[in-house]
Formats: sequence, C-alpha cells, structure tokens
Amino acid sequence: MLARVANNLFWMGRYLERTEHIARFINVNYFSSLDAPNEVSQSRQFVLKSILYMVNDTVIDSDDELNEQEVLFDVALNPENEFSILNCFKYARENASSARDLLSMELFRSINELYYYIKNYDVDLFVSKGLDEFTSKITKEVARLRGKIIETLIHDETYAIITLGINLEKATQVIRIINTKYIDAKSSQSEIYDSFNNSYEWTTLLKCIQSFDMMKRFYKKAPVITDTLEFLVLNPSCPRSILSSLDNTEKNIKILSRSKEKDSSLFLISKTRSEYKYMSIDEIEGSFSCFIEDTINKITAISISIEKEFLS
Amino acid sequence: MSAHKKLPIFSSYDKNSTFYDEIFSEKQEVRNIYKTLFNLFSEYKIDDFQQLNEKAKTSFLNQGITFQVYNEKDVQEQVFPFDLFPRIISAKEWSHIETGALQRSKALNLFLTDLYSKKQIIKDGIVPLDMISSSENYLKEMNGLEVPGGIYNHISGTDLIKHSDGEYYVLEDNIRCPSGVSYVISNRDALKRNLFGAFKHYPAYTVDNYAENLLGIMESVKPTGVDNPTCVVITPGIYNSAYYEHSYLAKAMGIELVEGRDLFVENDFVYMKTIYGPKKVDVIYRRIDDEFIDPLQFNPKSVLGVPGLFQAYKKGNVCLVNAPGTGVADDKAIYTFMPKIIKYYLDEDPILNNVHTYHCSDPKEMDYVVNNIDKLVIKPVDESGGYGISIGSKLTKKEIEAVKKVIQAHPRKYIAQPIMSLSTHATYIDETEDFEPRHVDLRTFTLLGQDKEFVLKGGLTRVALKRGNLIVNSSQGGGSKDTWVLKK
Repeated sequence: MLARVANNLFWMGRYLERTEHIARFINVNYFSSLDAPNEVSQSRQFVLKSILYMVNDTVIDSDDELNEQEVLFDVALNPENEFSILNCFKYARENASSARDLLSMELFRSINELYYYIKNYDVDLFVSKGLDEFTSKITKEVARLRGKIIETLIHDETYAIITLGINLEKATQVIRIINTKYIDAKSSQSEIYDSFNNSYEWTTLLKCIQSFDMMKRFYKKAPVITDTLEFLVLNPSCPRSILSSLDNTEKNIKILSRSKEKDSSLFLISKTRSEYKYMSIDEIEGSFSCFIEDTINKITAISISIEKEFLS
Repeated sequence: MSAHKKLPIFSSYDKNSTFYDEIFSEKQEVRNIYKTLFNLFSEYKIDDFQQLNEKAKTSFLNQGITFQVYNEKDVQEQVFPFDLFPRIISAKEWSHIETGALQRSKALNLFLTDLYSKKQIIKDGIVPLDMISSSENYLKEMNGLEVPGGIYNHISGTDLIKHSDGEYYVLEDNIRCPSGVSYVISNRDALKRNLFGAFKHYPAYTVDNYAENLLGIMESVKPTGVDNPTCVVITPGIYNSAYYEHSYLAKAMGIELVEGRDLFVENDFVYMKTIYGPKKVDVIYRRIDDEFIDPLQFNPKSVLGVPGLFQAYKKGNVCLVNAPGTGVADDKAIYTFMPKIIKYYLDEDPILNNVHTYHCSDPKEMDYVVNNIDKLVIKPVDESGGYGISIGSKLTKKEIEAVKKVIQAHPRKYIAQPIMSLSTHATYIDETEDFEPRHVDLRTFTLLGQDKEFVLKGGLTRVALKRGNLIVNSSQGGGSKDTWVLKK
C-alpha cells in the first residue's frame, strides 16, 4: 500500500472518530446540564465553556458572556472553524476520497451520505431546535460507518491502518473528555462534603463516553471519581477505555510490522500498553491531573511514531 | 399535484423534428427496436418518472460519481446528468461500429509507429510533412523509440454521430487520455436498478468486463524481463474533474491509484513509496497529459508528474499507457486523412464514414471556407472539450467576419466541416418535466495490446441537454445515457 494512501486512511479513521466524539460530547453535556443538581452545572455559560474547551482547548475567561447560538454554530457547522463537526467530517471524507480505490463502495457511499447530511443541515434549525437530531444522527451514523469498516473491508493493512487511526483518536478524545470533565468537576465543587468525589460531572463524563449504564452494571453503585477513572482508563473490558484502545492499537500494528526494534512503533505501543495494564488506580490517586496530561503525551508519541514509521 | 404531471409520458414529444430521431421514424411511428421499451415507459406517469429520476440522481451523488466544477468561491461536486431512457443499438449496427472502430485504432497505431520511425507515409506523399512538423503534439523525443509491445494507442475513444441519412460518421478519434468509460458502467448500474423489467426484453451485452480487459492489455505490454508486472493508474489527484473515473478504474482492476508524488525514479527504474518501502512499477496507465508526465523532460513546472519517468520509459524499464506523443495522430487536421491512412496501412476501405473536412491551410479550401462559413462548423485543430468551436449557422454577420479574420491569421489552426446534424433521442428534461428530443453522439472504447484487442460492447451516449445545442461535452452542459448493444 502507498504510504500516502496509508496516511489518508489513518486520518480518515481519526477524523471519523473525532466527529463522533465531538457530536456526542455536545449532545450529552448540553442536555444533561438542563436539570443538573447544582447551579454551576446547570448554567448555560458553564456548559458552553466546557464544550469549547473540549472541542478546541479554548479557554474562555470566566467573566466573558458567550452567545449560545454562536457557540453551537461554531462547534458544529461553522465552515470557517477548523474544529467544527462540519470540517472534521469534511477532512474525513477528503481522506476517504484520496484512498477510495481501497475502500468498499458501501463504506464510501455511507461516508458521502453523512457528509451531505452534515453539509446541508439547516443552520437556523440547528441552533434553535435541531441540536439533538443533528448530533444524535451523527453518533448513530458514525457507529454505522464503524460497522461498515468491520464488515465490508478486507482485514488487511487497509483495515489495520484505519483501525489504528480510530483507536488512537478514541484514546485521545476519551482522555480529553476526561480532562474537560475533571476540570468541570473541580470548578463546580461546593462546600458540601466530598462534593468533588461524588460530583454529578462523573455521570456526565460516563454518558459522554457512552459508558454510564455499563459502569453502573460493573460497580453496582453511583459513580465516584476513582471508579470512573478506573473504568474509563484501566478496565480492559470497557471498549472505550484507554487500555482497550491500546490493546487494539497493539493488535493492529502487528498486522503491519512485527519489528520489535527499540525505535519501532510496536515497541513503544507494547511498552505503553504494559504500563497501563499493570497499573492500579491507587497509584494515581491524588495526581489525576498529571496522569491525564501524561496519558495525552503518551498517545501523541505513539501517533507520531506510527506516522514516521509507516505513513511518510 | 398539478394535473399535467399525471399525463402519460411522451404526450408532448415533438415527433416532427427535422433531425433524425432515433425513437420516432419520419412517419412519426415508434421505430421497431424501441417499441417494447416505449410501451414499458408508457406505463409510467410523469410523476413516477420524476421520482425515479430523483432517486437515480441522489444515488450518483451518494456514490460519489461526480465531477468537479470550479467557481470563484470553491469546488463544487456535480453529478454528470444521467438520462433514464436508454439508447439501443442493434446487433447488426453494432457489428459495423465495432469493426470500424477497431480498424481505425489499428490504422492509427501503424500510423504512429511509422511517424516515429521511417515516416514512409510522408515519403510516399500520402500525408504532407507540414501536417506533422507543424503539429504541437509531435514529440520529437519519441523518435526512433521502440515502444513496449509495439502499441501506442492502447486505449482509443472514437466519437461517432448518426447523421440525418441514418448513417454513423466518426467526428473524432481520441487517443491521448480518452475519458468517460466509468460513466458507461455506472449508467448501466443505475439503469439496472431503476428499470430492471426492461432487461428481460432486451438481451444487452454487459459492460462490466472493461476493467479486466484493460488490465489484460496493460499486462500484455509489460517491459521485457518482467514476469508479473506491477501495474498502476496515475491521477493528477482528487481535485481532477475525472478523479472518480481514475479511482473507479484502479479499484475495478485491483491496482494502486498513485499520484506523481507517490512515485520516484532511481537508476532509470520507477518505484512507488509503500508502507513497506519502495516497490518497482512496470506499467503505468497515466491520466496525465504528455506535457506534465516528467518535469525533467517536458514542462519543468509540472508537479503532477515524476522526474525521470521519460528516461525510464526510453530505457524500456516502464511502459506508459497510452504512449507519449499519440496526440499528433488524433488532432482534427490528421482526422481528415484517416480514410487514406486506413487504406495505406491496412489496404482496406474505411468501414466508418469520415465527415468531409476542409483544411484552412490549403488556399483553395480556405477560399471555400471563408465564403461559406454559414454552412460550416469551424474547429480549432488542437482543442478538446468542445472549446473554440464556431457553428456557422448560429453566427451573426459581424461574428462571421470576426471568425474569418481569426482563421486567415492562423490557417493551420483551423479546419471546417459541413454542419452535421446529430440525431436526436428522447431525453427527460427537468424544467419541463417531460421527454424532449435532444442531440446525442456516441463514444466507443477500443483497447489494443500485444496480440490482444477489445471493443467495449456499449459506449457513452452523450446528450446535449440544452434545446438545439449540438455540443455534448460534460463541461458544456452535456449529460449521458446508458447504451445497450443487443446480442441479437
């Protein structure tokens, strides 16, 4: 396979995944805040700032007033904004287009259909009452696209590279969402005893990653920070956990290369994966924010290593 | 729903056309071959048909079967307009077209072989030297080069029209990078889905076998010493108007679709950059014009090509499909010599008619042309896509004078032909929500390889969607139709 095309497939996977996480984050945050238990979490300004931070690391001064419709437009449909859902999906499609001779017709067609849905979505409708319809549809359709990737492509290098892109982006977005909600929980904590540990933001966080009900099933209690992070970072059976993404990354890189040289991607991935596999939540308790930053850096390093080894 | 939408289709079709209509005879009766189809269509109401039409259009868009249109703001993707009423070609008529197209392709190949070696046809005075030496498309770099398998025009697109006398005429040969074959295949696919009932009554040949034959042709011209050639398609990239076709062909052949930046040349061999390192490439179906294939040899500003590619080709280490320099044989001035070229190399009479052509470079013919512009079509010899054409009958006196001046200033650049009346075919028109007669032509696709030949049994019927328009190119508002070649 051409290195350029591999690069296209990798980024197609990344942008597809990114689109879905952004859509889901906006949806869950917006709607769960409507009846949030405390005033801060319920505040529109709080939610809008959280959305902007997650989507593009944009930090808004706490005194600045945001216009709801403008923010929603910016993160979803603004063609001028690099990070809008519209542009994320546009990049996914452009990358798919450059590699379309390797994709199944079904997959390319579904990408196209969703692209036209996003591109032609009425902006006024979106900012007034289409938020749920639009973001839910994207979440649903990207899940369908993943299905097409699994069901219609040959499970060879093409599949491996797309899957690498998806898993690294998934890990990146999950850790970013954790980071955002961690900051939200910090800033919304009150004088009430242990409000941080039991924050409502953990519920929102789990819902943002579509893991709320499964987490409750696993721990059989309301989410607190340690259980939430353990589930989302270290649990190998939670399909969206960081460890799970690292497992998939390791599995797929082996389709491309078995080289275990110290400067190879496989070496780096296996090393990182082992570290998370044998880590316990007690070890990181108390230093969550450093841990989150460290995880982001490690995932970035893996991505760079793959790009260097295979995609250029 | 408005009342007129419930009308049966064809209720307002103008059957009294002055042109040859492929559906209705002069007596305004449906021609035999279309009778069954006409009855099937008559069961539809315009409304149902409108729905089918919309469905087909959306399906093309979603499949990404589109071409790019550039405007000031951005790049727009458009569906190549597709008409659901197919064109039918009888087995007898097709056999004539097929043998004729093959004959022309073979003659053109022999002509090119001669032009780039002994030039016997010029020495024998059949084609004037001036036609070649003044042609911008003659590549001196190809002189004396032995091309792999002895083939120059592996892929030929022959454009035909049906004149008012009911006969087919060749309008031009395209042997550089003829495009459109992917639409033949996608049109068929769309028609099968939407009008599956019709295929029971018409035994049409499949068009799905084009890609496998193209790959066979490519493999047949592999460089000497290569057992299993690595073949690729090279495209200018996703923003090229024919990108869909490039990706379709690569996919259908199961070979890589590369861009110039994916290839490099080392020690006169061509390699592609893969995830596992360089891989040697043996045969390249290039969808990049001669000028841009190698910045070291041709246009130095080209970023689409591969530096050193032509040197590798010259050494016989890679085969280019079609060969560089074929453009000298398909320009509109050479076209007029085609009957003589066929006779000279094959000792056969041309099977397909040529349209009579006046050369403005010949003073006598120039004289006739300038005095009869209103009856002629004036064409530049080296433009494609329907650009630069003047149709005499549509010009004002002032415009005629202007055209005169232009051709007198550059006689070699222009030829003139009688205004041929392209046949008309029933075409669904969105604005009027009804079928109307529209002019059509036909492009056939012929493949030549080493000891292999293939003519796709079907073709691209292009439709001029604007009423009265004679130019069918997609860049000028043309659409297309599925074309059925009947087995019997």
